[in-house]
Amino acid sequence: MVALRIAIAALVAAASLAAVPAAAAAEDSTLIIGMTVPIENPNIWALNSSSEWSAVTLQYDMMLKFSDDDLSAAPSLATGCEPNSDYTRWTCAIREGVTWSDGTPLTSRDIAFTYRFVIDQGFPYFSGYFPEGSTFETPDDNTLVWVTPEPSRGPEVPAWVYVVPEHIWSPYVGKTNKEIKQAPTLPTVSSGPYVMTEAAPGQSWTFERNPYFWGDEPAYDRIVYRLYTNQEAMVQALKNGEIQIADGIESALLPAVEAIPDVVVQKITADSWTNLAFNFGGQDPASAPLRALQDVRVRQAIAMAIDKQAIVDKAYQGVASPGETIIRPLSVYWHLDIPDDQLIPYDPDGANAMLDEAGYARGDDGIRIDPETGDRLVIRMPTSNDTPGSEIAGKLIASFLQQIGIEVNAQPVSAGKIYDMQQSGDFDAYIWYWSGDPDPNYQLSVFTSAACGDLSDGCWRDPTYDALVEKQAATLDQDERLAIVREAQQYVYDQVPAIPLAYPNAIVAYRSDLVTGLTPVPAGNGYLTPSYSYTSLVNARPASSGGEASAPASPGASAEPGAPQAAPAQAGSSGVPVWVWLLVAAVVVVILVVVVVRRRSAAERPDTH
Amino acid sequence: MRSGALDLRFVARRAGYALLTLAFILAVNFFLFRIMPGDPIALLARSQRLSPEALEEQRRAFGLDEPLFVQFVVYLRETLTGQLGVSLVSGVDVVDLIVSRLWPTILLVGVGTLLAAVIGVLIGIRGGWRRGSAFDSSSLYSSLVLYSTPEGWLGMLLLLLFAGWLGWFPAGGFSSAAGLALPVLALSLGYVGQYAIVMRSSMIEVKAQPYITLARAKGLSDPDVRRRHAVPNAVLPTFTLVVLSVGFILGGAIVIETVFSWPGIGLLTYEAINTLDYPVLQGVFLVSSAAVILAAFIADIAYGVIDPQVRQS
Repeated sequence: MVALRIAIAALVAAASLAAVPAAAAAEDSTLIIGMTVPIENPNIWALNSSSEWSAVTLQYDMMLKFSDDDLSAAPSLATGCEPNSDYTRWTCAIREGVTWSDGTPLTSRDIAFTYRFVIDQGFPYFSGYFPEGSTFETPDDNTLVWVTPEPSRGPEVPAWVYVVPEHIWSPYVGKTNKEIKQAPTLPTVSSGPYVMTEAAPGQSWTFERNPYFWGDEPAYDRIVYRLYTNQEAMVQALKNGEIQIADGIESALLPAVEAIPDVVVQKITADSWTNLAFNFGGQDPASAPLRALQDVRVRQAIAMAIDKQAIVDKAYQGVASPGETIIRPLSVYWHLDIPDDQLIPYDPDGANAMLDEAGYARGDDGIRIDPETGDRLVIRMPTSNDTPGSEIAGKLIASFLQQIGIEVNAQPVSAGKIYDMQQSGDFDAYIWYWSGDPDPNYQLSVFTSAACGDLSDGCWRDPTYDALVEKQAATLDQDERLAIVREAQQYVYDQVPAIPLAYPNAIVAYRSDLVTGLTPVPAGNGYLTPSYSYTSLVNARPASSGGEASAPASPGASAEPGAPQAAPAQAGSSGVPVWVWLLVAAVVVVILVVVVVRRRSAAERPDTH
Repeated sequence: MRSGALDLRFVARRAGYALLTLAFILAVNFFLFRIMPGDPIALLARSQRLSPEALEEQRRAFGLDEPLFVQFVVYLRETLTGQLGVSLVSGVDVVDLIVSRLWPTILLVGVGTLLAAVIGVLIGIRGGWRRGSAFDSSSLYSSLVLYSTPEGWLGMLLLLLFAGWLGWFPAGGFSSAAGLALPVLALSLGYVGQYAIVMRSSMIEVKAQPYITLARAKGLSDPDVRRRHAVPNAVLPTFTLVVLSVGFILGGAIVIETVFSWPGIGLLTYEAINTLDYPVLQGVFLVSSAAVILAAFIADIAYGVIDPQVRQS
C-alpha cells in the first residue's frame, strides 16, 4: 500500500501546487453564484432551463418589465405605453440615450424587429404574448406603436420578450430555428447590466459588466454562474466561500445550510406549486376514472380530510406554505388569498359526515362503497418523481384518506409516465406540479374544457368556469379583470377539480460576510438572483468585511464587448489549461510508483543472479 | 503453429464481428430510448408556459411528429453521414456537445483508470505471490470492500471529508486542477479492487505451473522467477481488463461526475436522461459503445499477438 500512499500524496501535492496561482489571481470583484440546473446553450433563442432564463434576464431588457415590487408592468426600455380609446393602438415612449453593449444606439426599431422576429419564427416561449395580427410601427426612434385588430392589453401584460439588437440578428431572419439556436453569440450584445463573455458547457458561465448599461452601475465587475449537480457539494462550496450565493437548495439541506456561520437564507415564494389533480375522463375512449370522484361532495370531503400543514411540515420540512388557489402567491397582484374563515378546514370528522350523508356507506373492511356502481372507493393516485415532496405527500394523503374510508394507491412514477397517463386518462388522480406566468391567463386556461387533451390534467369540464376565463381574457380594465380572476380562483377552490397541496419555497442562501445589497423581486419573499429582473444583482456589492469568494472565477480576459470571439476558452484559473496540470500530476504519480517498485524489487533481489 | 505473424483471416473475422456488433448497437440505440415513457417536448410544457400550438411546432421542428419508422430511416441516414442531430433541449449540435465534454471525461476517467490499474496490478502481483501473507489478506479484504462500495457513496464521503470538513479541495467542478483530485481518488479507489483481485488470482494460478517449479529448480532467485516467468504470464487476463477499461473511459463515470459536478460525458448522459433528450442519449451511447467495441477488437488482436493459443483456437 506504500505505492497507493505515495500516489495519493503526489496527487494532493500536485493539486495544491496548481491551486496556488489560482488563489492569487483575484483582483476584480467577482460574484460567484452556485446553480443546480444545467446551463447549456448561451444563445437567447435556445433558452430552456431556469438557469438559462436567469442568465438571459441578467443581460437583456424587456420593453416594459415586471415591476420589482409585484411583477406588474413597469417602465424599462419604454418609459410608458398609452392605449387609444378602443385599445387597438398602444403608443410606447422609448427611453432616449440607451445603447447596446457594443455602443450602437438602441431605438424603437430594435424593439419592432425583435417582436416581428419572434412572431415570424414562432419562438415557443415568446410568441404567445402577441395577439393575432399584431403589427408594429416606428414613427421615430423613440416611439413604438403596437397595433392589434381587436382590442387588447398589448404591452401591459407585459410581453415577456427580451429585446435583441437588430444589427446582430437581422442576418438570421428567415433562417430555421435550428440554425438560429446554433448562432455564435459570445460575447453577447445586449442592453442589460452584464454581458456574457465566456461559456464553459456544463460548468460555468461568466458575465462581465456592460460599460454602456443605461441604469445604475453595478458594483461587481464580473458574475459567474457555476453548476453543481450535487446539492451537498454546493452547500460545502458556500461554506468554504468558493461561492457567495447558492441558488436552488433542497429543503432537506436547510439545516446544513443554516448551520453555516454568516449565512442568510431566503425562502422564496416559488414559481411552482404541488397539485393533486382528479381525473374526469374523456381524454381517450378507454379512460375509466373512478366515478365517485365526479361527485363534488366526494372531492370536497377529500379536500377536508387532507392536512395540508402536515404535508408542508413533513414533505417540505416546513419550507412551503399550504396550497390554496391555482394562481400561486408569487403572482402577488392576481393571487387570491382566501380568508381564513372561508378556507376548507382540516376536519376528518366533517369529511366522514359528508360522505355518510352522500350515501357512501362503509363496507366490511371499512372502505366506502359507491352507491351507484357498488365499487369500493379505491383511488389510483401515482406521484411524479420530478415533483419534490410528492412521494411523501402521497403517503400522507393515503393515510389521511384511510381515516375517511378511502383507499389510496400512491405509487411514485417517472414524470414521463405521468405524462402518458395524463394523455390517455388512465388514472384516478395524480400528484404533479404546475408553474406559470406572472399573468394568470395561462394558468387559468389549463383548467378549461378547451385544454382537455392538451394541458388539462384530468379534463375537468365546467361551463361556468370556462365563461369566467373567457371573460377575464376579454376584459381590458385591470381592476375589473382582477375581480373576475379572483372569482375564477374561488370557483376552482370550491369545485375542487384539483387540490393545490403546497406552495413549496425555493431556497437561496448567501454569505452575508461576503455579499450584501441583494434585493428580493418581487418584494418580500422574492428571488435574489435574476428570475424576473436583474435588479438584485445590480444592487449587490461585496460586503465591507472584505470579500469575495475565495476561489476566483476563471479569468477569460475581459473581452471587449462586441468583439468577435470564436469559441469559449477553457482555461484553468492560472491561465494554464487545467488538463496540463492534471496530466503532469498523472505522469508524476506513475513515475513515482514505477520508481518505488523498481527500487524495492532491486533491494529484494539477491546478488546470486 | 505459425508464430509471430498476425493472421489476417483472424483479424478480418474479428473486425467483422466488431462491425456486426456496431450495426446492432446502431439499431438498438434508436429504439431503446424511445421505449422510455413520456414525451420530451411535453416535459418542457409543465415547467414553462408553452401553448399546445407551440408544443406541436416544437415536435415538428425535431421531426418527432413523423411515424417512428420514418424517424428511424432519418436517424440511420444522418448517423451514417456523421451527423448525430441537435439536442432537443439546448439546440446545440450533438457532436459539438460530446466533443466539449470529452476532455474532462478522458482526464478524469483516464487518470482514474490508469492509477487504479497500475496500483491494482502491483497489489495483485505482491498479494498473489505471497498468498496468505498479512499483506495479501489485508489487501484482498480492502480490495473487496472498496470494489463493493457504491462509488457515489464513496465520493460523497470523500467530498464531505476533504472539501467540507478539511476544506482542502473545492467542492466540485472543473474550475481548478485541485478539483480533479477528489473525483480521481474516488474513481481509483472504486476500480483498484477489480485489478488487484484479477491479478492476484492469475498470479496464484501461474505460481502452481510446472514452468515456475522448473525456473526455481534452475536456481533463479524468487524475485527473478516472479518478474521473468510469473508476471508476464499472469498479466494476460489483466491486460484484457485494462484494454477494455480504456474503451469504457469514453462512457464517462455517471455517478462520480454527478457527485463532483464534473462536466464530462457521464454528466451529459445524466442530464439527457432527465430531459429525455433522445439525440444526445443516442450520440453518447453510440460513441461509448463504439469505443468499447473498438477496445474489445484491439484487445482480441493484441491478445492474439501476445498469446498464440488464442489465435489457434
